[in-house]
Amino acid sequence: MILPAADELLAPVMAIDGFRLACLIDGSTGMVLATREFQENQDGPAPPTAAAGAADVINALTLLNGRLATGENLEDVMVTFSDSFFMVRPVGLDQQPQILLLVIADRQRTNLAMAHRSIRDFCASFTS
Amino acid sequence: MSQVTKRSRVQRLADSVLPGRTVGGYANLIEARLRKLAATDSTGMLPLSGHGDGAIFFRGGQVVYAESTRTPTPVRRSVGLAALGLVATDASPASHGAELVAMPSLDRLFGMLALTEPTIDAITELLSNESRYAKFRPSDYPAAGQASPLSIEAVLTEVDRRRHVLRQLAPAVTADSPVVRFAPRDRPRFQVSASQWALLVRTGAGSTPRSLAMTLGRSVFGTTIEVYRLLALGLLVVPGHAPAITSGQPAQRPAAVMSFVRALSNAGGGDA
Repeated sequence: MILPAADELLAPVMAIDGFRLACLIDGSTGMVLATREFQENQDGPAPPTAAAGAADVINALTLLNGRLATGENLEDVMVTFSDSFFMVRPVGLDQQPQILLLVIADRQRTNLAMAHRSIRDFCASFTS
Repeated sequence: MSQVTKRSRVQRLADSVLPGRTVGGYANLIEARLRKLAATDSTGMLPLSGHGDGAIFFRGGQVVYAESTRTPTPVRRSVGLAALGLVATDASPASHGAELVAMPSLDRLFGMLALTEPTIDAITELLSNESRYAKFRPSDYPAAGQASPLSIEAVLTEVDRRRHVLRQLAPAVTADSPVVRFAPRDRPRFQVSASQWALLVRTGAGSTPRSLAMTLGRSVFGTTIEVYRLLALGLLVVPGHAPAITSGQPAQRPAAVMSFVRALSNAGGGDA
């Protein structure tokens, strides 16, 4: 990853039950800044691909939000796959540059509501 | 103390490039040179010239800094009005090292990005043009602790990804495409981010993503993507191209062009 020194910032989200992968992404360029993986995630998604997918999702939703013009901000995105949850949340709204947090967790071992809360709290502590 | 600016110094060194070292667009030759410098734990500067001049700085075989005359140099992180480009900011390079340790985490991350993004941006530019390199100049410059060291493989992987993104964007916009503001009559309301607003209010006659990036002190690559998003929203147009929002087929709209995932899948071979 481009900023290995930033990997330690992701340590708190590794405590989420079923945690597989976390990335910090520069949403403006799609560049992966930092990554943490669960040790047994060898068969899981590659961090660059997962991060690129997250940046694409946010890009599409940002365009949608721009067209809808409701005055709302995108808070997070939750995607459910057959075996995993894919969660993306901007860290610090409208900051320059926009940093995205991606967390992928095992669907069988993760309580989605708890994971959502953990990610929200993590982002809140991150920006304070 | 030298009165010559860093940029002038780089320009002067780039002028000394040996004529026989032209690589004529074969950026992989420069990449091979960079890998060799990394493998030998080199410390110093590799001047490059071509369409734009610049230099890549190494410390212990890792990239610590790079600059190009065609990309902005690092600036301190902007907040408030400065983030919108409405007030002047200090253009001196951000100071790193001990200062970062005491920062809160997000500021710390921004601090790292403040030098890393311009460095990657400059290397992308230096390796994308018809560049040639000069003799490597061993030195202790820049000063220790100025930037987070980056491994050459991580840098080259990121540069490769950026090249593929730029190739995807090329049919819609390049860093040097002139863009103008557009007000679609059928959609009176839009919502843009502060970053996009800063670009919109700065766009005037002859504006290009690169000139906007230079004005705002932002990454040329990031600004090109942001301009592309504004093209997709129909708030900017490239003269001679139909506005995205009024063009006929959805496939012709810029929104159908760019994908970060596709940039990765194309990294090992040709572009789609």
